[in-house]
Amino acid sequence: MLELLKKTNIDFMGKRKYAFIFSGIMVILGIAAFIAIFLGKADLGIDFTGGTVLQGYFEKEVTIGELRAAMSRNGYDASIQSLHRELPHYFLIRVKSTTDDVTKIAEDLLGILEKEFPGNKYHKDSVDGIGPAVGKTLQRQARLAVLLAAAGMLIYIWIRFDFRFGVAATVATFHDVFVVLAIFFILHKEITLLVVSGLLTLVGYSINDKVVVFDRVRENLRLFRKRGDFITTLNISINEVLSRTLITGITVLFSLLVIIFIGGEVVHDFALALFLGIIIGTYSSIYIASPIVLEWEKRAPKRFK
Amino acid sequence: MSKKSRSYLTVLIVFLIAASLWYLYPSIKLWSMSDSDKQALKTTEPQDLISLEKKALKLGLDLKGGMHVVLQVDQSKVKEDERKDAVDRALEIIRNRVDQFGVTEPLIVKQGNDRVVVELPGLQDVERAQALIGQTAQLEFKLLESDENTKTILKKIDEVLAQKKETPFKEEKPETSKVKETEEKKKIAQDLFGKEKPESTSDTTDTSTFLGEEEEEADREKPFTSLLENPGGYYFEVLIEDKPKVDLLLNDPKVKEVMPPDNEFAWATRTEVIQGAEYQKLYLVKKPMEFSGKYLLDATPQYDQYHKPEVRFTLTKEGGRRFARLTGANVGKPLAIILDGRVVSAPTIQSKIRDTGVITMGGAAIFEEAVDLAIVLRAGALPAPVKIIENRVIGPSLGQDSIRKGTLSGIIGFCAVLLFMVIYYKLSGLIADFALCLNLLFLMAAMSALHATLTMPGIAGILLTAGMSVDANVLIFERIREEMRSGKTIRAAIDAGYKRAMSAIIDSNLTTILTAVVLFQFGTGPIKGFAVTLSLGIAISLFTAVVITRVIFELRKEYTTLSI
Repeated sequence: MLELLKKTNIDFMGKRKYAFIFSGIMVILGIAAFIAIFLGKADLGIDFTGGTVLQGYFEKEVTIGELRAAMSRNGYDASIQSLHRELPHYFLIRVKSTTDDVTKIAEDLLGILEKEFPGNKYHKDSVDGIGPAVGKTLQRQARLAVLLAAAGMLIYIWIRFDFRFGVAATVATFHDVFVVLAIFFILHKEITLLVVSGLLTLVGYSINDKVVVFDRVRENLRLFRKRGDFITTLNISINEVLSRTLITGITVLFSLLVIIFIGGEVVHDFALALFLGIIIGTYSSIYIASPIVLEWEKRAPKRFK
Repeated sequence: MSKKSRSYLTVLIVFLIAASLWYLYPSIKLWSMSDSDKQALKTTEPQDLISLEKKALKLGLDLKGGMHVVLQVDQSKVKEDERKDAVDRALEIIRNRVDQFGVTEPLIVKQGNDRVVVELPGLQDVERAQALIGQTAQLEFKLLESDENTKTILKKIDEVLAQKKETPFKEEKPETSKVKETEEKKKIAQDLFGKEKPESTSDTTDTSTFLGEEEEEADREKPFTSLLENPGGYYFEVLIEDKPKVDLLLNDPKVKEVMPPDNEFAWATRTEVIQGAEYQKLYLVKKPMEFSGKYLLDATPQYDQYHKPEVRFTLTKEGGRRFARLTGANVGKPLAIILDGRVVSAPTIQSKIRDTGVITMGGAAIFEEAVDLAIVLRAGALPAPVKIIENRVIGPSLGQDSIRKGTLSGIIGFCAVLLFMVIYYKLSGLIADFALCLNLLFLMAAMSALHATLTMPGIAGILLTAGMSVDANVLIFERIREEMRSGKTIRAAIDAGYKRAMSAIIDSNLTTILTAVVLFQFGTGPIKGFAVTLSLGIAISLFTAVVITRVIFELRKEYTTLSI
């Protein structure tokens, strides 16, 4: 039998203070990022702000600096990214905009490229034009989706387990989302629609991870009803499911790693958000979710059935 | 698991595999065809290819390339009680226009109260589509200015511009000489082939060119007309490079002063290439609207007896009366069909027209032009102006790139998971791998059967599903190991492993499906694709990872050892 871990007996609960301190700092950062997003200070993708992205290639060499200068000469504050494709001189040109006339902006940009780089044709591969009105709708929908997902989880676990478990799992899951947001904020990563979807997927995965642990806690609470204290029950349960938690985490992380490296730009940030989230989620299943229930039980004892 | 239910399940599994293969067959056949094969089939059996494409698993815009447009219907100019109707009519008109493109599986849906989403997968001619879909203005019919008046107006414009004594075009002399050059060539061509001009069948009358006898020094005296070429008729042709200059001159306040209040210049909707140079026509029209598009009932493109494209149109009763009056009084004069302030066509009125008429296209016209003109006429005017507020165009090469990257990362990720399971759980891992492969097969087949669309995030969803499916098996196997460690017999350990892992598996899968449903609700195109594959995949994984692996474990009665 090949085993990642032999039977373990780690005192996870004993380390909860350090975990709370570490997570507290990360969550505060995450909340700061969240507020920054709401105030429009964070780097939101054009999905949410409105704007236009061109992807395509030049026939001859052009530098990012030249492109940016050409755009700013014509009144556009563009962010330029060079992409690696089999086609040479491949660029992604992105401008944010406040007008809803998205076809005009795309035409404008192409016109500028034609004018500024005569004799060096820009072949557009894709155009993404999103008006601010659409951006607002998407922002509203994203907020609604996050709230709906969280509420759904809370209610489900409340019904299946117990209110305290529900709250603990939901809090720990929100913790995961905030920590990923904090990391994205620190890395100056853009928050796009796909990143938000990645975070929502993370909510699903993360809650799933907590459910597996709680499921074992529930089972052990029944077994140990007469003997043993709550803290030992939690520790034993986590140790018992530890190898499953790690194996599942590792296989999913592996798939995501492949997407991150060769999946292309479309899904890169989505996979990155999920990748970070699953590491954080695995950690919080062990060090955050159960300790919350423990602290709650210590303050307001309630015999778990 | 009883023997009976086991055999029922075995039959069910075999049936599902067969059904999946049947659903996937068209996709496999289509995808294994090379481009030249497809082209060959298109010419020999076009119907077969279409039905194959219909049955195959659909690829999203991000993989196939195409265009996604969101239009906003501007309701501010529509009366309160007509607002809802305005959006519905806009939707109908847009659908009507799009349908005539012949794009397979276009998507046209209302979004919210005032938006329309249009998705055209695999579309190549994006500009043409955007022009047709986004057309907003009223369809108007206006008369063109007479020859004589045109000459006077042009003369006045030249005079005021010459008076300004500005020579802004001096430096651009090379371009102007290019005009001359092409003009020269044209003259030569005319000399060679006689006076007949091929494109002047219906919408031109023979007039001498304004510029015909002008010589080089004209530039100074005639700053405006030197930019125009008149091949004979009620329009001028302007080299596409000169168009901005002409626009600039026409906006000159001095020029505006001398323009008669009843006249305006209007560009043609499209450019045309004449002997290698790109031109756009410029018309001088009379401002009053003579006839409105709302009187049009129908318009269809067809070929005349000489196999030249033409458009037949029908008018309403009132329209017929008005049109008869208009055409009767203006026989021999061209009537411009103007959409969005641009001239679509300016056919000459040959006779009095009542309820039905025919617009003959120029001899050089291709049938497509007749089709587009008919679309314009039929759809008439959109009840309320529409504005494109979201516009995504994915080039086919980008789609190809995504397909390659998606498939590659999918295969590598999938194989890595398969390999890991075999190494870690041995034979049991192989059983889980078999279940995982069936999961993938059923998922693709279910997507084909439900006419779902595969997108790049959808591929990511499939990979995540694979992860989740493996998780179910990991939960079961770890539990079986635990039970074996606690001293149970293998048989009992397997039973207990499945039984005790179930609650965690069901809870975790249901919570994930819950998020997938939320994602589906809020997501647009690509994200919806992710939500669909994830929720379908997880539902299927409950069957493959739990039921199918169990059936396989049950194949053996007695276990003395278990490879796990």
